[in-house]
Amino acid sequence: MTTPSGHRALSEPQFCGLVDELNADPARRGALADLLREDNPIYDQHGGAVTVRMRGWVLLALSRAGLPNSALLFALEELDNGRDAYLVAVAARALRSYAQPSRAFAPLLMRAISNIHFHDDLFCLECYGGYSESAAGTTAVREVFAALLWLGAHAHAVLPEIDAISANKTEEFSDALAGEAGRLAEAIRRAAATQGHAQGHCCAGPADLGSFRAWAPGSTGNAESIDSILFEDQDRNRVDFGQFFRGQPSVVTFFYTRCNNPRKCSLTVAKLARLQQLLSERDLADRIRTAAITYDPAFDLPDRLRGYGQSRGLRMDAGHKMLRAIDGMSTLCAHFQLGVNFVESLVNRHRVEVYVLNAAGHIVASFERLQWDEREVLAQAVALLRDTR
Amino acid sequence: MNTKRRGRTSAKTSKGTRKARAGAPARSYKANWTVAANAGRSVKNRVAALAGLTRAVCDDNETFQGMLSILRDKSTPIAVRLAALSSLQAATFSVIKFNACRPAYLAALRSVASDPDPELRQRVLGVLSREHDGYAQKLLLEGLQKPEKALVPPEKALQLLSYDIHAEAYPVAREIVRKPPNAAAKREALRLLAADAASAPVFEKILRDKSESAEIRQLSASALLSLAPAKLQAHARAMVLDKSESDELKSTSLTALTHFGEEKAVAQDNALQKTVGLLIGKAAASAILKRVAKSFLAKYRR
Repeated sequence: MTTPSGHRALSEPQFCGLVDELNADPARRGALADLLREDNPIYDQHGGAVTVRMRGWVLLALSRAGLPNSALLFALEELDNGRDAYLVAVAARALRSYAQPSRAFAPLLMRAISNIHFHDDLFCLECYGGYSESAAGTTAVREVFAALLWLGAHAHAVLPEIDAISANKTEEFSDALAGEAGRLAEAIRRAAATQGHAQGHCCAGPADLGSFRAWAPGSTGNAESIDSILFEDQDRNRVDFGQFFRGQPSVVTFFYTRCNNPRKCSLTVAKLARLQQLLSERDLADRIRTAAITYDPAFDLPDRLRGYGQSRGLRMDAGHKMLRAIDGMSTLCAHFQLGVNFVESLVNRHRVEVYVLNAAGHIVASFERLQWDEREVLAQAVALLRDTR
Repeated sequence: MNTKRRGRTSAKTSKGTRKARAGAPARSYKANWTVAANAGRSVKNRVAALAGLTRAVCDDNETFQGMLSILRDKSTPIAVRLAALSSLQAATFSVIKFNACRPAYLAALRSVASDPDPELRQRVLGVLSREHDGYAQKLLLEGLQKPEKALVPPEKALQLLSYDIHAEAYPVAREIVRKPPNAAAKREALRLLAADAASAPVFEKILRDKSESAEIRQLSASALLSLAPAKLQAHARAMVLDKSESDELKSTSLTALTHFGEEKAVAQDNALQKTVGLLIGKAAASAILKRVAKSFLAKYRR
């Protein structure tokens, strides 16, 4: 993949120039959202902090002209899973520039507060990188509050949580912030009353994220070309893609053991374990395979894989494996179009992603960025069993 | 870079401060703050007063903002500024209580990360690095790439960058291993690279290089155990069999084989067991090597 201007691996000043150039040109502004894809080569060989600065700058640029549909999921992803206070602040600000408030955004904004409020920071969102050295500026929680205010009556369902912040019984928030929460709650109540929330006259938009997230139709890429990818599992057994992923439907997740975001890899593997439990309860554990494949095969050696899986309750046997690609990692990335980029062999940024493969090893569905529901994934995989009867 | 202390009272470690703390009369936090904020009082008194404020830092906004002002103010004696930093750092342990103060605290730390005082900036960069702060990482990387801009010695910069594996420090660490400014910087660069799978060949080379110090070679063995355990086992075996290898490295190798070796392969390795058996009876062998050899044989001898 190349950037809209064909650049690869830009320096940060060059990157800022590119973003400003695209933002200034309405005809090319749509290309900004493409810069948020993790597999964009623009992030190649940049460290974690640089990647954060770059992504923040793109989201801020998008928010100036109004967050487009093509970038909405990236902002929601930060609110759902983000652990970097700057990106959460930027995502909340970007969301406010979206055309239409929705009830579905409110729980994600509250989750962002719970994700971030113990490591919040001060930011200057007008300058690249956002680092603040003075007491002036904004914080992630303040930006989330502003987004909730923007939602108005659409945030009615999360009023109890806002009230709890306002009461501040645990003293986790400053008096000023607790006061702001109180004023926010009042404003939401007023908006709800004005718009007839109690009578059900307002906020008819979607209550969940169903309309914003969708099972993306899978790549119908040539599965044969990846048959030769060689994996090693948690017990040092070697198996190629064709051997493991052909013959039965499977659910595949990606992770790496050094991920420092508990909402991503750790939770993904724990949820895969819960999915395995659901399969067992339905006597499907022998008919649907599961795999957790590491993004970091050079470091995630079999012992590490096994320990990581065991500590998250993952079942590991012939049909359920933790895998590292010992040959063909780049083919694997290309086949799944993985949302990941690297600084050398180390991941610098990745999305949450889960794939459902049919018995031929083809991707039939993928679920990306927002937290996935185990039952939803199970239903997708079970549907494949019905299809092959 | 001059990192020597300039004969002053350091709030963190100096005997002067401990004495001052021990001798400080029990005052209310308001009284402590009155003394701490008073530029007319002696440094010793202000430092002692600040030490007594730790638990009250976030009790009211005036005290907290005042502490930050002391920390930022370059005209305040450095011992007082360091004492303010210590009190703020201690207050962070009350995680819930400090949470409301955290954003302003971090911003204040960034404002003094390039302070003229070397001890203050090193401590501040340490705190920010433990937070994986991108601003601090940027300053540290710049200093390693352009030594004239360095805020801390290279070995310290590498140590601080190693707190975050995503800090993009591997290329510069490799360059320092290739051309180290000093032995400590080389050691810290290797420690940092111990999390970099691509650096396994570097560690293999150093492990077998008898001209390197025992410390660096042992560090390499430890890194290989994490990055490429099978390769460490092969090298460890070869080093035990190598008559010209030092007792220190033979001990390290035998320890690795005893505790982390692939049991089946090691148990069937007659040549290795015979050599280890001879080490026990070798008069010139060190006591440590003999002890490790006995431990090895206790596990593997058939």
